[in-house]
Amino acid sequence: MSTILLINIAWQVSTLALVTLGLAIVFGKLKIMNMAHGEFVMIGAYAPIITSSLGLATWLQLPICIITVSLVALILERTIIRHLYGRMFDSLLATWGVSILLREIVELVFGRSYQSVPQPVTGTIDIFGTDYPAYRVVIFLFVIFGFIVLAWWNKRSKVATQLKAMVENPELAQAIGINTGRLSAGAFVFGCATAGLAGLLLAPTVQVEPMMGLDYLLKSFFALVVGGLGGLDGLAVGSSIIAGTQSIVSVAYSQTAGYLAVLVLSIFFLWLKPDGIRASS
Amino acid sequence: MKKFHYLIASIAAAIGMLATTAAFADIKVGVLVPDSGPAGLFGPSSRNAAMLAAKKINADGGINGEQIELIFADAGVAPAEATQAAMRLWKGKGVEAFVGMHNSALREALIGRFNGEVPYVYTAVYEGNSCASGLYITGETPSQQLAPVIPHLMQKKGVSNWYLIGNDYNWPRDTNVLAKEYIAKAGGTIAGEEYVPMSVSEFDSSLQRIKESGADAVLVTLVGGASVGFNVGYAGFELDQQAIRLGTLIEENTLAGIGAANANGLFSSSGYFAAIETDAAMAFAASYKNAYGADAPALNSLGQSTYEGLLLLAALGNKAGSLDVAAMDAAAEGTQWTTPRGDNTMSGRHVAQNIYLAEGTGGEFGVVATFNNVASSDACNK
Amino acid sequence: MVYALLLSSLLAISLLAVPMLLGDFVAYQLGLYLIYGITAQGVGFLWGKAGVLPLGQALFFGVSAYSTGIIFQNVDSLSLHLVFAILTLAILGVVAYVIAAVVFKRRTNSGPYFSLITLALAMIVEQLAGTTTHITGGFNGLYGFDSIAGLDPFGSLYYLIVVCSVSVTLLLMILNTLPINLIAKAVSENEPRMQLLGFPTYALKAQAFAFSAIIAGLGGWLFASHQGIVTPTSTGFALSAELVIITAVGGRFHVFGPLIGAVVFGFLASEMRDNFVYWELLLAVVFIVVVLKAKGGLAELIVVFLDKIFPKLLSISSNEFVRTAAPPSNRVLKAGNLIFCDVHLQIGVVKILDGVSFVLPESGIVSVIGPNGAGKTTILNTITGNLFPTTGSINFEGKRIDKRPPYAALKSSIGRKQQVPSVFFSLSASDNLAVAMMAGRARVPDYFKRSTLTWYNSALTNIIDHPNVPLKTALNKTAQTLSQGHRQFLEFAMTAATEPKLLLLDEPCAGLSSEETSLMTELVREFQSQSDGLVVMVEHDMSIVEAISDKVLVLHQGRVLSFGSFLEIKNNTEVQAVYAGGTK
Repeated sequence: MSTILLINIAWQVSTLALVTLGLAIVFGKLKIMNMAHGEFVMIGAYAPIITSSLGLATWLQLPICIITVSLVALILERTIIRHLYGRMFDSLLATWGVSILLREIVELVFGRSYQSVPQPVTGTIDIFGTDYPAYRVVIFLFVIFGFIVLAWWNKRSKVATQLKAMVENPELAQAIGINTGRLSAGAFVFGCATAGLAGLLLAPTVQVEPMMGLDYLLKSFFALVVGGLGGLDGLAVGSSIIAGTQSIVSVAYSQTAGYLAVLVLSIFFLWLKPDGIRASS
Repeated sequence: MKKFHYLIASIAAAIGMLATTAAFADIKVGVLVPDSGPAGLFGPSSRNAAMLAAKKINADGGINGEQIELIFADAGVAPAEATQAAMRLWKGKGVEAFVGMHNSALREALIGRFNGEVPYVYTAVYEGNSCASGLYITGETPSQQLAPVIPHLMQKKGVSNWYLIGNDYNWPRDTNVLAKEYIAKAGGTIAGEEYVPMSVSEFDSSLQRIKESGADAVLVTLVGGASVGFNVGYAGFELDQQAIRLGTLIEENTLAGIGAANANGLFSSSGYFAAIETDAAMAFAASYKNAYGADAPALNSLGQSTYEGLLLLAALGNKAGSLDVAAMDAAAEGTQWTTPRGDNTMSGRHVAQNIYLAEGTGGEFGVVATFNNVASSDACNK
Repeated sequence: MVYALLLSSLLAISLLAVPMLLGDFVAYQLGLYLIYGITAQGVGFLWGKAGVLPLGQALFFGVSAYSTGIIFQNVDSLSLHLVFAILTLAILGVVAYVIAAVVFKRRTNSGPYFSLITLALAMIVEQLAGTTTHITGGFNGLYGFDSIAGLDPFGSLYYLIVVCSVSVTLLLMILNTLPINLIAKAVSENEPRMQLLGFPTYALKAQAFAFSAIIAGLGGWLFASHQGIVTPTSTGFALSAELVIITAVGGRFHVFGPLIGAVVFGFLASEMRDNFVYWELLLAVVFIVVVLKAKGGLAELIVVFLDKIFPKLLSISSNEFVRTAAPPSNRVLKAGNLIFCDVHLQIGVVKILDGVSFVLPESGIVSVIGPNGAGKTTILNTITGNLFPTTGSINFEGKRIDKRPPYAALKSSIGRKQQVPSVFFSLSASDNLAVAMMAGRARVPDYFKRSTLTWYNSALTNIIDHPNVPLKTALNKTAQTLSQGHRQFLEFAMTAATEPKLLLLDEPCAGLSSEETSLMTELVREFQSQSDGLVVMVEHDMSIVEAISDKVLVLHQGRVLSFGSFLEIKNNTEVQAVYAGGTK
């Protein structure tokens, strides 16, 4: 296996994990089948456009992204999402309506044309003999670092434990004084903000237009199905399998084969191991 | 009191003027543009160009002395729904001719439904070889875009080893069949050929293949967001140092999405660019800007094509003396007219037209070569 | 039935009048919306009745349209066209059945996952339709064929579409009045209960899916003729999504709902799309509101509105409480010993059953007692197949029963009543009983006869006609509105009606008043004397245990502590210690 293939796989896996993280929280923990997940990624990717149209400095892109996405997520959570906890089918349908809504709003505000976001870091770096885009290396390192921090936080923080308790047994959690309403809202907003952050980071490497979210949505769902909803390790496993399969099959055969392979693989997991690869089903 | 009389008088005059213009709006022309869907971003420019064309045609006396009125319908929805919309214009609103800027699937559906009973001008760039009674095509075909351009680029840029990449459907595949012929004829070689599903938006494996193939030129027949994503990734891997890129559907919006930093060595072959510096083109661009302002949806070859289509309709209608399909079919061959793109001649129901090669390095298109009066080999035999 | 015919005739008349009143072109437009409406009615049946949400229904629609187009391109005779149409629909039904059965059999609560599978399948088909240009014409579509029997899509084809639409509507409305309707609703309402009643729910859901696939195939068949061209957009996610939206907004709980949704949505869309910039936005908002607030969609709103104005108009005549004798059950009812042989059940590190062995008599009432966590309910679970033992075997009537799924339990003549009454909450009490009467008894034709709904047998009449049982006056009430006690009696009646030779009762007197408790014990005793089979009862209340048990089985920490008559175990010192809090 050539170096470049391995590096490409690493990139695909890490970006998929980054994009899927938000859904792992919203779907994995809160059991909301958030069909608007891709749209939060899209809104995050539009943050540079928002920043430049407001005439603000480039470094403000990050706070603008977080603020915008969090605001949208919070409004949605308070009006729509909070009625949907525990209603999986309904959450699928309602968030799907939300995804159309968000797409339309972005289209009306920014138009349908493609936006271009320049790379903050240009040029290539030599890695093990091949030239790889420097910006991608930066994102990759950020993702690794971010996940380590997240894993540490998950183990240590009180909020993380409360979240686990609430997911496990909401009524008992309420009974011992955990404000489940606020915790759920917080988790939802955090999940969507993560998706937005992913969009911001990825924007210089992909096309930015209102319809860009759908592909991320599907891949994220499939990654979670394969990896299981059990937290960060499930996320890592699922992303590796989905992104790895697509990369390897695309290189070995063709892009069409890669695309179909992911779909077929996902169907098998949905059928045989819907709780993920490590569940004893 | 006097003021009131003046008011009444001016209102009456306005109404009278409207009435007379309405009375003269005799011919309804249906214009099908994508207002929604994947091609939705071309809707506004298509509409604007069409309205500009109608104004010009009417100012020149209309078609056979009658003014035209445009009625728009959304062609960006699924073919079944778009066909319904077109039928509504035809059967419901008495449209007498159609100009369509949309995808091939809808064109084939409409050919079936129109059944040669109403003139239908198709203006979008497409794969060629679509022939039917009443169908006239101004859209560029692969042979036009590539036959003169490929040898020119190969000679000018000293490239000869081509990699072909496109989306997985008819247009890219038909394009590549011809491209391979032209490349072989010019003494070039094919480094690789691949097709990518529409729904895929990451190209790492394809870019890797291009790198390893040692190609020095890439023919891009990707569409929409895929085209943007591919070209952004291409430059990210610094492949622009290795190979030039030629696309046959890279217009101003796509270039804007790709971004100046990623457009180094990116060429586009098309019948129209906003940056064409002929008198006709610049006059057109100026009148577009006057009519719609500096912030109007940017001119591009797809959007501008509705202007071309309407002007063809007028030219053909006037030559035939009516909008009756039999008459127009009989009169079609050899019809000549001039548009912002240059001089056009109808040949085999397609249009022998000027083809421009533009370079996008720096983020804006600049025309680097012009090929006059290029006929299509994908035209209809008599 | 009359109601169904009346409404269908109304529909037929109004649809047939359209060309005359509104012109041929409106009829042409309406034809397309009716085609979508027919397809959506299949979705509505599957989703609203059987509780399965299909996200890829366009797959069947599109495949049918493509095969129809290909056939029309290559074959000329009308009779062959019709033969191939039927063949196509049959194949689609079989394929749909197989897919759904295989997925549902694996796992009971796979609803959302199945939906995602249908979505992925539709995406695969859409990709293949675009790629295999030599078969499907690729992106440009499949064209060059004439419509069925050469009917004019702008003219007489409309009448064929109307005939199909009215037929499907009539069929669905008739199905609403038949027992099969209850079965579908029961499956979606409470699948575990249906399984314990011996229904292989995976097969039932798969049949519903196949039925909806056939209806979608019919839609696709008409579509090919109506459009004259089939493109990959007819197979993919976008159309599937649109069908779900139409069904949701139109109303998935009423047969007319999806039709209304398709027609309203279609006309509104074509009018507003060109003129109203915020059309898609409005649609999204309406959809969200419907999902959150108005689950029954437009049809529900209309029904509620009409109900306010004409209260009697829509009341369907209830069963007149006629009773007919039910046929005997499908099983050979022979009694036999229940034998547990060294059964272990371990989940993770927890040993729930740690070597349970006993032989129960062929007939009589055996109570199972023991402290919490002893494994009493688990014993019942292993008998019915809700849990599988890790090692060991369970035999009944000489056959091994320990590795079979719950819906096989009734076939072995095992019935079970749950601790928390598990009934069909949205159905009336009499409908609950009707479902129970079909369990293990009805053959395929019986599901399509109205008389099946009136079945009664002696086991049931013994309970319902008992003077103290409060159900007789409450038969029309939905199970949800019954009190806990009434639900216990209802579930007991349902279980008893299946005439099991081994009846498992899990705390039948939980939540009952003292009068209800003595009534229940009396009913249990009567049932056992009638069936002469075995009743195994988990109980906590010692007075009940003493009153009716022939034998008592004491469990403690996953093992049998003692087995004997009530007096024997009462005097057993170990048992005393466990209950009085001695050893642990």
